[in-house]
Amino acid sequence: MEDQGNNKTLSLIKTSTSSNSGFLERGRRIKVAAEMGLAESSRGRHWSRALRDRLLRRIGNGACGCQKEGLTPSKVAEDLVGEEGDDEVIEMARKLRALQKLVPGGEDLAMDRLFEETADYVEALQRQVNVMRALASLLGMLEKEKRLMGG
Amino acid sequence: MEPTRSSGDGSGNSGTYTPEIAESLRFEEEIQSFMRENTVHPSLEPPPASGGSSFTALLGLPANQAVELLHDPESGDSPAVAAAAAVSGGGEMWRFGLRDPNALTLPSGCSPTFPSNAALVERAARFSIFAAEDSPDAASVPSHSGDHSPKLKAEPPDTESQPICPIPVERPQRPAKRKEAEKGNKVKGPAKKSRTAEEGSAKVAEESTGGDKLPYVHVRARRGQATDSHSLAERARREKINARMKLLQELVPGCSKISGTALVLDEIINHVQSLQRQVELLSMRLAAVNPRVDISGLDNFLSAECGRVMVGNGRGGVWMEQSAWMDAAAVNGGRRQQQQQQQQIWHLDLVHPHQTPSVWERDDASHLFTNPNPGTSLFGYDPASSVSLHSNQLKTEL
Repeated sequence: MEDQGNNKTLSLIKTSTSSNSGFLERGRRIKVAAEMGLAESSRGRHWSRALRDRLLRRIGNGACGCQKEGLTPSKVAEDLVGEEGDDEVIEMARKLRALQKLVPGGEDLAMDRLFEETADYVEALQRQVNVMRALASLLGMLEKEKRLMGG
Repeated sequence: MEPTRSSGDGSGNSGTYTPEIAESLRFEEEIQSFMRENTVHPSLEPPPASGGSSFTALLGLPANQAVELLHDPESGDSPAVAAAAAVSGGGEMWRFGLRDPNALTLPSGCSPTFPSNAALVERAARFSIFAAEDSPDAASVPSHSGDHSPKLKAEPPDTESQPICPIPVERPQRPAKRKEAEKGNKVKGPAKKSRTAEEGSAKVAEESTGGDKLPYVHVRARRGQATDSHSLAERARREKINARMKLLQELVPGCSKISGTALVLDEIINHVQSLQRQVELLSMRLAAVNPRVDISGLDNFLSAECGRVMVGNGRGGVWMEQSAWMDAAAVNGGRRQQQQQQQQIWHLDLVHPHQTPSVWERDDASHLFTNPNPGTSLFGYDPASSVSLHSNQLKTEL
């Protein structure tokens, strides 16, 4: 699995750095790489594993041109907060469903685990965004300087 | 004696679990060395359950159970739990011994040494709960008698680590298991006591799953609430869910003011969506940065460098390339978390763009970084080694 990840990463980077690929394509690859980094940053978490699986599956399928597999059946969050009216319960269920879709791997999680994973996922996302933003501004500055210096 | 906790992780991470898990390995060694010094006496039998004190049977079992667990170090994180159990069980005994020396006969070797490690015991209690939380099948341990002293002792270590792990703070008060000979009458007994004694503390039963679980679980009910096992379990779950929800509220900015689960959920969903969108936008922005590509030596570089990476714990130098920096940076951010580095210092050194690949290879030995944690090897996805040889090179220090 490690080697597989290594090769996949290598191929990913190769394609991402090829100047022939369009801007959009490169952006997408970078996004995949970013999400991979996000997953790696919190290894051992349920969402991290799910995200990693999703990414690797996508890369693998993309490389060999296969169709994406069918979505795994997902369980609806069963535990709902009690003592609410019916309409509210329905609405709450809808929101929980939405949250489940957002958090990777959230589809088979019940409410309490879902919240746990969401909390960790939010933290990791925030970290990721900070890093990416810093790098983007950094590289932007670098580029500007290089251009100024006539590089 | 205790390793320093990272109480300020830069960007205000208030509930990071990963560093906790990473730290538990170190902690486990601590506990095990401690245990070697004071071997819990295996011949400690549970004293006959006397009518007045319900602690005796409680104290007896954790020791045996702990010893049992100690003898089975194979299963996952149960060594940590087992060691913690042993320590906390022993600690409990010590505490109990101080209060009522007649009820228990402690092995002479145990008592003198435990008091000095009360803090360790508390930490063990927290950790075991924490570990138990991760793997609910493992024996849950921390025995909390009905008195206030464990809570009082738990307060200082808990408050000091409050910013880091708000959830484990709640744990010590919740999963309390009692073991008694009979179930029926005793439930009403503690229930009556609870009305007079502790008004706020509801101890809840957790579902026992493993074979080494206590056969009887006793619950302390809140005033005026039903002691039906179903409703209690449900109440426990609801409280757990509310606790998690509160934690989420703290994470999401501007959520603490909102009342009502539906609105809070909305906010959370919006926040997650916005973060994901930001990641996408930033990756597009990074794609727009003009890359200099030179993949010629990449394969050789990878095979040579895979596995030869070192990281400085306080400050590490990282060579990053424009195109592969993304992986490096992202993983870097993760590693930062893993190593609990408190400060993130970013220095930029503009390396001259004319460096050749050979120079790169010569310089890299001191600047690549590795993962010190054996459990989370990132070599399969090693950014530093996957850095390609480009003309634009950045050196950042963390």
